[in-house]
Amino acid sequence: MNIDRILEVLREWCALGQLDTRRAPLNEVFVSLPSACLRVAVQLLSERFGVHHLSTITGQDVDGRIELLYHFWDGQGLTLRLVLPRERPQVETLIDLIPGAAYYEREIGEMLGVRFAGHEDMQPLFLPDDWDGAPPLRRDFAGRDAQQEGT
Amino acid sequence: MNRVTIPIGPQHPLLKEPLSFLVTLEGERVVDSTLRLGYVHRGIERLCQERTYVQNLHLLERVCGICSHVHTTAYCQGVEALLGIDVPPRGLYLRTLLCELERVHSHLLWLGVLAENIGFQTIFMYAWRDREIALDIMEELSGGRVTHACNVIGGVRIDVEDDQFYSIVSRLYKLEQRVEKFLDLIQHERTFRARTQGIGCLSAQDIQRYCVVGPVARASGVNVDLRRDAAYAAYDRLHVNVALRQEGDVWARTLVRTQETIESLRMAHQLLIGLPEGPTSVRVPRRVPAGEVVSRAEAPRGELVYYIRADGGDRPARVKIRTPTLTALITLHDQLQGVETADISVVLSGVDLCIACADR
Repeated sequence: MNIDRILEVLREWCALGQLDTRRAPLNEVFVSLPSACLRVAVQLLSERFGVHHLSTITGQDVDGRIELLYHFWDGQGLTLRLVLPRERPQVETLIDLIPGAAYYEREIGEMLGVRFAGHEDMQPLFLPDDWDGAPPLRRDFAGRDAQQEGT
Repeated sequence: MNRVTIPIGPQHPLLKEPLSFLVTLEGERVVDSTLRLGYVHRGIERLCQERTYVQNLHLLERVCGICSHVHTTAYCQGVEALLGIDVPPRGLYLRTLLCELERVHSHLLWLGVLAENIGFQTIFMYAWRDREIALDIMEELSGGRVTHACNVIGGVRIDVEDDQFYSIVSRLYKLEQRVEKFLDLIQHERTFRARTQGIGCLSAQDIQRYCVVGPVARASGVNVDLRRDAAYAAYDRLHVNVALRQEGDVWARTLVRTQETIESLRMAHQLLIGLPEGPTSVRVPRRVPAGEVVSRAEAPRGELVYYIRADGGDRPARVKIRTPTLTALITLHDQLQGVETADISVVLSGVDLCIACADR
């Protein structure tokens, strides 16, 4: 993976001016992108640089907003960071570009309440069918007591 | 022809762990399948945020009942990177040794499960008997057969004494000879080939589209192995031979895993021979400076990913775990399409399901 060239191209296509990049230990680079640029960036990575392997997507509720981290790997790690609002977070799906992203998106959908526009099958994958609580990985989710669980 | 939908799971003799498959059949052929996970979902990612870094070791070791050691390896590696400390070489070697022994026992366990599912009881019995050798060695080293509690942040808590060394090396050699026999059997046994060849095929393009990792990817000709490509722990000091096949069916996966078992035994031998002197761990502070890290390790089933975010306290702010089984599960729909009912068990075994891992 030619990381400098990738960052240069991402800067050209996805950022007005400076691209927020950070190098982390264990050979990983974090790049912040506007959420509208996600699909362009993924297409560039795959078509121009042959980076196809999406390791996973991490979702987290941090500092009053939802962050999505798309971890790519091709001999070294590259993570694209998207920041979404906490109220009604939404981002475009990747499943037509990377079918392997389907389960990761479904998991983030149920655990953090993020909507992936264009992803039709967002049924729960891990949580019970009758789950009526808040998305459990949100900071304000306080857990459910035993009575609610029916145990 | 009438379509019939049958449930396989959550509890089913075919499955060793709970997951639910709804398989739609047209006659004997599978035409559709739907997967549902979550029957062993324990919310471990969330629980990690409420425990200290040290307490999490015990929790994360229990994500999986087979590849427990590699989970703590990936986690410790991430936390150590955030702390900016170097593990002493002896600690890294012992950590890697356990990783390889774990791969041996996981692959032999899997071989037994596959053999049992195709009705080949002999391989099942032999594979599980011989797996005990690896388990015995791990028990001697760490005190536990599958949960070793071996990793600590900053190294390992176990050590190899001189008198253990020769006994372990001779048993590794004995096991290697037995696994060579399995390899021969898998390559030439007609029943085995008839049941596994041409079943559950995945092309290299499928692997790329679904981002599949590990032995399943390597059996389809995709040359990835983090032990070589990321060279974590002591792998940069070892020669890693990557087992590769082009066929992409269950037979190729069996060969890849069996060859890998032999390779792992050789690597375990190399690690013991080259074991450096010195301490096995260093003391680390309880609080971890703010930062984030993505830690990868090659589990028996492929790339294991940990994302850890620290906010300066004694508890992680986020721990995300992506286990290799999750990448393989998504391909099952394609693999099952058009197979005979009797081959469903072969396809399901072929990807080496670990549902506790996938569910977390």
